Amino acid sequence: MKWKLFFAGILVVFGFSSCIEILDDLTLNNDGSGTFKYTINLSSSKVKVNSLLALDSLDGKKVPSIDDISLKIKEVITQLKESNGISNVQMESNYTDFIFKLQFDFNSLKHLQDAVVMIVKTESKGSNFKEIESRWLSFDDVKLVRSIPQITIEKANQFKKEDADLLKLGSYTSITRFEREVESFENSEAKQSKNNKAVMLRTNAHSLTQNPSLLDNTIYLVKEE
Amino acid sequence: MKIKFIFTFLLFTTVLFGQNSENLVPKDAASVFSINNISLFQKISLDELVKYEFMEEVQQELFDGSTSGKTLKESGFDFDQKFNVFYGNGDDYEVAGFTFGIADKEMLFEVFDDFQPMESEYPGVEFYISYFNRIAIKGNAGVLYRVTPNDRFVNDITDSVWYANGNEYPWYDDFYDEINWDEFEEEQTEDVEFFDEMEIEENTSNPIETEDQELPAASADPTEKTYYEFRDSIELMLQLQFLKKVNDELFIEGKSLISEDKRFAARLSNTAEGTFYIDNSRTIRKDYDIRYMRLHYPTLYNDLYEVYKDNLITGELTITDHSIEMHMDANYGEKLGSIYEKLTDTKFDKKFFNYVHKDNSGFFTYRVNLRAAYEQAYDVIVPILEREAENTKDMAYSLLLIEIMDEFLNKDAIFDTYKGGMFASYSGIKKVKTKKVIFDYDDETFEYTEQTVEAEEDMPIFTAGFSTDRSDIASKLLARICKIAPNWTKHENYIEIENGMLNAAPLYLIVNDGIFIITNNEDLAINNPKGFGANSLAKATQKKALKSGVAYSYIDLGKAIESIPKSLFSDRENELIDITRGKTGSLEFTSSGTSRNKTSFNLTYNFEGEYDSSGTYILDLINSMYVIAK
Repeated sequence: MKWKLFFAGILVVFGFSSCIEILDDLTLNNDGSGTFKYTINLSSSKVKVNSLLALDSLDGKKVPSIDDISLKIKEVITQLKESNGISNVQMESNYTDFIFKLQFDFNSLKHLQDAVVMIVKTESKGSNFKEIESRWLSFDDVKLVRSIPQITIEKANQFKKEDADLLKLGSYTSITRFEREVESFENSEAKQSKNNKAVMLRTNAHSLTQNPSLLDNTIYLVKEE
Repeated sequence: MKIKFIFTFLLFTTVLFGQNSENLVPKDAASVFSINNISLFQKISLDELVKYEFMEEVQQELFDGSTSGKTLKESGFDFDQKFNVFYGNGDDYEVAGFTFGIADKEMLFEVFDDFQPMESEYPGVEFYISYFNRIAIKGNAGVLYRVTPNDRFVNDITDSVWYANGNEYPWYDDFYDEINWDEFEEEQTEDVEFFDEMEIEENTSNPIETEDQELPAASADPTEKTYYEFRDSIELMLQLQFLKKVNDELFIEGKSLISEDKRFAARLSNTAEGTFYIDNSRTIRKDYDIRYMRLHYPTLYNDLYEVYKDNLITGELTITDHSIEMHMDANYGEKLGSIYEKLTDTKFDKKFFNYVHKDNSGFFTYRVNLRAAYEQAYDVIVPILEREAENTKDMAYSLLLIEIMDEFLNKDAIFDTYKGGMFASYSGIKKVKTKKVIFDYDDETFEYTEQTVEAEEDMPIFTAGFSTDRSDIASKLLARICKIAPNWTKHENYIEIENGMLNAAPLYLIVNDGIFIITNNEDLAINNPKGFGANSLAKATQKKALKSGVAYSYIDLGKAIESIPKSLFSDRENELIDITRGKTGSLEFTSSGTSRNKTSFNLTYNFEGEYDSSGTYILDLINSMYVIAK
């Protein structure tokens, strides 16, 4: 197996300079309920991911096996299923192309945020992230304010420069969908769909770690008749 | 007459009062690294020096700030004498340290300022002490050393006396016997509230002192001490006993490694920048399995040790303007030598070179005759096992299995299929075709669909192969597997395993010309399955490989080493590899023919441009050797 490790390690040295693609897709109904989809696509780096998985450890840290990853995903799913106001939790894990898709329905944005906070708290094992309870989504019938959770910003700040640089070719796409048409939005980088019911923001993963507010947006909807 | 008198006087005083640092290396040292030309190290700071692992046994003194900003030149060392780093781990204790010449004792103790003079029982020898470390000075040479009893030995004696005094098993805890479990179950349902005691327990970083928290004083009666207090006492007494033994040998009996082992004395006469001496026949004794064998199969241990005796590695390091050369002699006894001799009783397979491209970044090959080595090892080992089998059933069982396998396995088929010679080459990083999934967004709704498209990723390109006289066996097996495995495809000259390389790129198998090859090099498999021909390994390199003994290796450091990841290797292996990281040049490894007593190896590191400090290179190499030998 040593030769396999050798191949793997050499690839890891060349790093994750290629892509990780992250897609978050929020569908918001008029009553504040909705569906949240979160997709991580590593298919364009599958040689490197396989290389990593072939290693026991890297930089002194244990590299999780597919079983470890699978177990962790199951834990998160179980937590989500047990969360108040969260339903229809689905997870699709593709270990050939390394694409992971999470999807669930929520009764309100508060329930969605509570569930995320609960998972972050559990997974961070008591680490005291500032403003973990702060809200990053708010909806008041005609206005949706979206920002990046403070936890993400703090995590991004913890990235070593070389790690952050490796994300340069990665991309982050954020889509927000509504039942009603969008009247306007504040982020000039955002795009509106032709049917006027969705707004998309795209940036590269590295820029996002350097400036998480790139995905901040306030979207104004046409009033319900 | 006057001149004759002066000469005689000088000779007399030198012999009587002069002392070379190498004479202070204890005879228990099994590994010694001697730096002959320590003027190379004058510029090296002590802070840099103490970071080396070979200093770890004695370095706590040097980390106390007294070395800050000083170089070796300012430490009082005599640069006309050798600097010898030594380590030995015997059955009962280990001894580690270094010996040095002294030019200025005052400056020396500005560095070793924690050492205090102590009374000496040895005429002409001064002693200084700092915790467990000692400095002994005789004439103008000194040794900084530490003698530490082996844990196992300390534990054995402590346990023995502890039990003999009627004490309980030291780790036995009667806490659970005294618990009223019914009460405990009731208690645990109660709500727990914080109170002062818990606060004290939590506050470990800044404990609150209380008057009634005094530790029990050790009594003069050892049976009233705790197990660990008692063990500490035993360890201290053993340390003093072993220290006295080492001192007596060095300063009364005149026994040092140089007087007890002529091989060490001979090695020291070499004038290269550095020399090393590693007595593997002694270092192997600390191996856990060997100790286990010694305890349970003493006859076998003695017999196998006889095979292993005289196993000694010696060598030297030489620095030239643009190269560092390491010459190493692996010496061994006749029995082991007879196996090695048979093992290497074969020729390089010239056909390998045809499958190594001339632009490779690294190339390695070795030649061994597994069949001959097996037969010889069988002749040497089986009689030893037979003697042990007379006394122990499990050894008789092991011998039975070995003899059954020897009689009934088809050795011809096994050793003709894999004869022992192999090669490997590394051709750097190339782009390979893979597939990836992308999301295609609909402008109308931003809904998306997945699409699989062609992609490219970086892949290290390797080729490995071995000689076989039974290509028919390999071909037959591969043909069958192609029928069974859906991702194996048989082409005219090669077999392709789809996604065989990290589940993303193809892997190729080639059986041709008596060589079995595994590669992910598409160019080799598809375009050159019968070898690179005119584009194969340079003739000059081929000649060097053929002239080498058992193994040959060549690495273009500029191309290869930087891409070798540290995480693949153990700390010990990385110690060696680190020497060449960040440097350009080439590394060539050759060996001599193997005789019944010795095989010699040469590692030549040719580098381009100037190097900053040859002393650092030497220290890097010595540290690597130390870590490996320890």
